[in-house]
Amino acid sequence: MTKALKINKNIEQGILEFLKLLLKNGKVKGVFTLKKINDEGSIAYSLITEPEELNNAVPFYPLMPVNAGKLLSRFTLKGSTKEPVVAVVKPCELRGFVELIKREQGSLENLFIISSTCGGVYPTNMAVDGTIEKNLSKYWDAVKKAEIPAEIRPACKGCVEFIPYTADITVDLIGKKDIDKQFTMLLNTKKGEELAEVIKGEFLEKDLDKETLDKFRDKRKAEEKKLFEKIDSEMKGISGLVDIFGKCIGCHGCMRVCPICYCKLCEFESPDSEYSPSSYESEVKKRGGVRVPQGVLYYQLGRLTHVGISCVGCGACDDVCPVDIPLATIFKKVGESVQKMFNYIPGKDVDEPLPLVTFEKEEFSEVEK
Amino acid sequence: MSKVEGTPITKGAIISTKLNTNESIIEFLKKAMDKKVFDAVLVPVRVPAGDSFAYVLIEDKSLLKDAAPLSPIMSVQGAKAISGMTKLGKGNMKIGAVMRPCEIRATVELTKINQTNLENITLISMDCPGVMPISDFLKDPEKSMKIYEDAVKRSDDKIMRPVCQICDKSSMVSGDLHIGTLGAKKGTFFIVSNSQKGNEVMNKLGIELKDNVDDWRNKVQDVFEEKHKKREKSHKDLKAKTTGLDNLINTFSKCINCHNCMKVCPICYCRLCYFDSDKVKHTSEDYLDQAERKGSIRFLPDTLLFHMGRMMHMSLSCVSCGSCEDACPMSIPVAQIFSMVADETQDLFDYVSGRSLDEPIPLVGYKEDELHEMEDAK
Repeated sequence: MTKALKINKNIEQGILEFLKLLLKNGKVKGVFTLKKINDEGSIAYSLITEPEELNNAVPFYPLMPVNAGKLLSRFTLKGSTKEPVVAVVKPCELRGFVELIKREQGSLENLFIISSTCGGVYPTNMAVDGTIEKNLSKYWDAVKKAEIPAEIRPACKGCVEFIPYTADITVDLIGKKDIDKQFTMLLNTKKGEELAEVIKGEFLEKDLDKETLDKFRDKRKAEEKKLFEKIDSEMKGISGLVDIFGKCIGCHGCMRVCPICYCKLCEFESPDSEYSPSSYESEVKKRGGVRVPQGVLYYQLGRLTHVGISCVGCGACDDVCPVDIPLATIFKKVGESVQKMFNYIPGKDVDEPLPLVTFEKEEFSEVEK
Repeated sequence: MSKVEGTPITKGAIISTKLNTNESIIEFLKKAMDKKVFDAVLVPVRVPAGDSFAYVLIEDKSLLKDAAPLSPIMSVQGAKAISGMTKLGKGNMKIGAVMRPCEIRATVELTKINQTNLENITLISMDCPGVMPISDFLKDPEKSMKIYEDAVKRSDDKIMRPVCQICDKSSMVSGDLHIGTLGAKKGTFFIVSNSQKGNEVMNKLGIELKDNVDDWRNKVQDVFEEKHKKREKSHKDLKAKTTGLDNLINTFSKCINCHNCMKVCPICYCRLCYFDSDKVKHTSEDYLDQAERKGSIRFLPDTLLFHMGRMMHMSLSCVSCGSCEDACPMSIPVAQIFSMVADETQDLFDYVSGRSLDEPIPLVGYKEDELHEMEDAK
């Protein structure tokens, strides 16, 4: 059983009050969370130090404008934060951050992490015309009933990793019908317990409701299967790959928003990926025609190789693609199959080394043959 | 009033044909390849899945069957294709590249900053009806092909990129050859040359540039005037909506920092953008200090700084192609804003991006007698 704190308040008010108290009591210097940043309702991650500013915070808003793992990495890239900061992030954002930490791109020190069981997020472009705002009540109705909200990111529809692994506090959301009146926070770590000291509530010994979440996972698995089957039927052989990736415009937005792609200069934007006129000419002589610039498929497959083992399936790549290539499904599918091979769940444990930097004596004997 | 007028070219060739514009251009390229004027051509070709177009360097003429010089979309800005191919030096093949006027203008700008080598490349433009936004095209590529074709026939620009609807340089000739369809009698089109290289190509093809092209020139002038008026009005309206810090912040508030706009911009050629470099990475104390000063900061901060910075860096060379807007996943009217500012900065220096290879980029040159108004600045 885990220590837990039940708070008899509406989730939105309760969590904001909690965050305010953390600031007021000096437990933390800053709060990192989603916040409405203007009257038009644009929402962005923000770093908040003034309690009153939290009035516009929307910690569990079903939107991921940027994968927060990437932002927390930027925040701690030049060294861990000296002052304590609490971050409210989604499970896959936390996993992305953990994967970045393994690559020495950030630090958890002095960071408190609050996450939740996650119902998923809407595609970012639905934030443009206010569609998410209109869908909010439907979204929370679905989450309360442990159902998959319609229209969320495909990556979220098929996500089975909706429970955070390494959060200090997990807010129990999925299947909780009464979050308008009360909610429970699981205090997974000593750090979590320390934070909980600031707010009044009922201390319990409690775990997440396994039965509800198992059922929910089955629904997600069924969706994942559908997505994978569809992509399997389309992505057959080289011609299938060419058909899927042929419309790529080379903006590399997928790389730039990916929480795992951390390279300062991507291999595929480096001089190694620039071709001389003679290489174009020899290609055109061989094949009669060559696409310019070259290497569209090479970029996609290369990135797949580079990030597959750590892909957390957040779907940020899907959202950013201006030509609607189903990147997240492809990367998730390939990622999961590589991850299975190494029995690895990206972002599960910050102390577990990346499979490719370590080796087991008895592995891949099949390769020897 | 912008300094761009229709065109100073008065002579060219009038070619009779039974083909449509796409076919005529392809026929012209084939002929030039047959006569060894070009060893290869660079043209947009429909991808195998049919849902996009990509620049393909073609030597095997049979591959021209899927070529579409007037493709309904601009998936990659042509200048990026040219620099991708020739950035490291000139090739040995003589290449004819067919691109839209704004793509050629961007190529000219990139050439001024040593990002291309045009020695063996002949740039061929055409009167451009505009292109559709990619996202609109993708809704149903087959249907979009027809919609585009119909719109071109009717000279209807409503389905085009917003910046195409207000483009007053859609017939600007800054490459070597230009194919004119405006003002052409049924079953004919114009070819004009804009350079010695263009003259030589025509010479080798045995086409004399003796015909009077007033019909084309007058129509180009009409289109210019109409579009220019539209452009000024559109920019005026947009200016009202985007002037002032609050309006700017709101306009860019939905930006998710993907930097797609920079990546697809034909002018943004830096290998590592300043705004992706270590210069913009700070310590957590710095970020917290910033937050404390205001009570709350957006994270990452400096979203507006990126856009304003990029604007400062490339606005003198901006060709208003609209690639940035097409690539923006958050539907920010980036191209419209950048084109509005670009017109003003370029006007300040009597400069038109990509008009001519002979005009140096204003910031690398200097006139003794310029910008007096700055002297009085208090």
